[in-house]
Amino acid sequence: MAKSAVPSRIPPCAICGEPAVICQPAQKRHLCGTHLIQDLEARAAATIREGDLIHPGDRIAVGLSGGKDSTALLVILSRLLPGLPEVKIVAITVDEGIAGYRSDTIKSAEALTRRLGVEHRMVSFRDLIGSDLDTLLLGRGKQACTICGILRKKALMDAARDSGATVIATGHNLDDEAQSVLMNALRGDLPRLVRDAGAGRSAPFLPRIKPLAAIAEKEIAAYLFVQDLFPVLPECPYTRYALRADVRSLLAGLESRYPGTTASLGESKKKIRGYCAGTPVMTPLNRCGECGDPCSGDLCQVCRLRHSLERGRDS
Amino acid sequence: MRVLLPDQGIRVIDWGPGTVAALLQELGINPLEVMVARNGALVPEQAAIGGDDEIRIIRIAHGG
Repeated sequence: MAKSAVPSRIPPCAICGEPAVICQPAQKRHLCGTHLIQDLEARAAATIREGDLIHPGDRIAVGLSGGKDSTALLVILSRLLPGLPEVKIVAITVDEGIAGYRSDTIKSAEALTRRLGVEHRMVSFRDLIGSDLDTLLLGRGKQACTICGILRKKALMDAARDSGATVIATGHNLDDEAQSVLMNALRGDLPRLVRDAGAGRSAPFLPRIKPLAAIAEKEIAAYLFVQDLFPVLPECPYTRYALRADVRSLLAGLESRYPGTTASLGESKKKIRGYCAGTPVMTPLNRCGECGDPCSGDLCQVCRLRHSLERGRDS
Repeated sequence: MRVLLPDQGIRVIDWGPGTVAALLQELGINPLEVMVARNGALVPEQAAIGGDDEIRIIRIAHGG
């Protein structure tokens, strides 16, 4: 490690005065590593408590990709477990079958679950649809994120059901939520913007919860880094096709110039849902005519995708 | 000052002392998309860096 010739001028932690590792602009303060860890875990606990997201006796299926957000989610939930009566966790990793990418994240997920002593299950696209993503995407590269997203959601839901889970937890953070709002607005997809897969326990499918939804991506990365848990992983080769990548850069630029933009967008989803309550856009979900899964039309996205892939093979 | 870039590149820069924020601006990197470690320890954008410091810029987000 190099010896610095510069006096150590690092802003102090607002709580203890130790050198800070991060600035929290919204709270107008700096925090050291120890207090960042405490702060994030307390905020995740508050999100769970205020949203009544976890009930006594729940078995939580955590979607664990091995990336930073799902890693942080599993670490935080593991630490909160003693305060959650009779709650158990199972981590589920979906192997899409992406050469040169997924194997590293799977190793990361396996190492983490071993370290935390959490049950770990794997499920693959090959199990689900008989083919890996790389094969499915031959000639369809530009649809990568759409196809992958539909199948990942289905694979996670099925594996969670098979494992006896009562709720699915995902690592979506504040930035993810804000990006989704903007993406749905750009696509003109109001129904998707206001529909919430995690809405309530009366939904006809496993409820999905997002305990990190109020925490910024940068805070999550720092939380892991100060504990030597930040996973350095390759980038998905299909990223270049993702609208989300462009939206992420756009939002990061806006947030930099207009602090608070991300939080406002994240909050806007709740407001828009409130405005739409009781309107046709909020109509209850149907059941898929083929597989019985909840869906908004006659067929669910997975069955529509199956038909589309079959047509592609026949042509 | 030795700077390890997110793309694995390395640059030696005669810098500062100045802040992390100023360095990121100089390099055209949005501070919201990276973390910065100074001599192995994470530091906020307002931290002063320079001299013999080794600065590592870590990308926190990937595309899709």
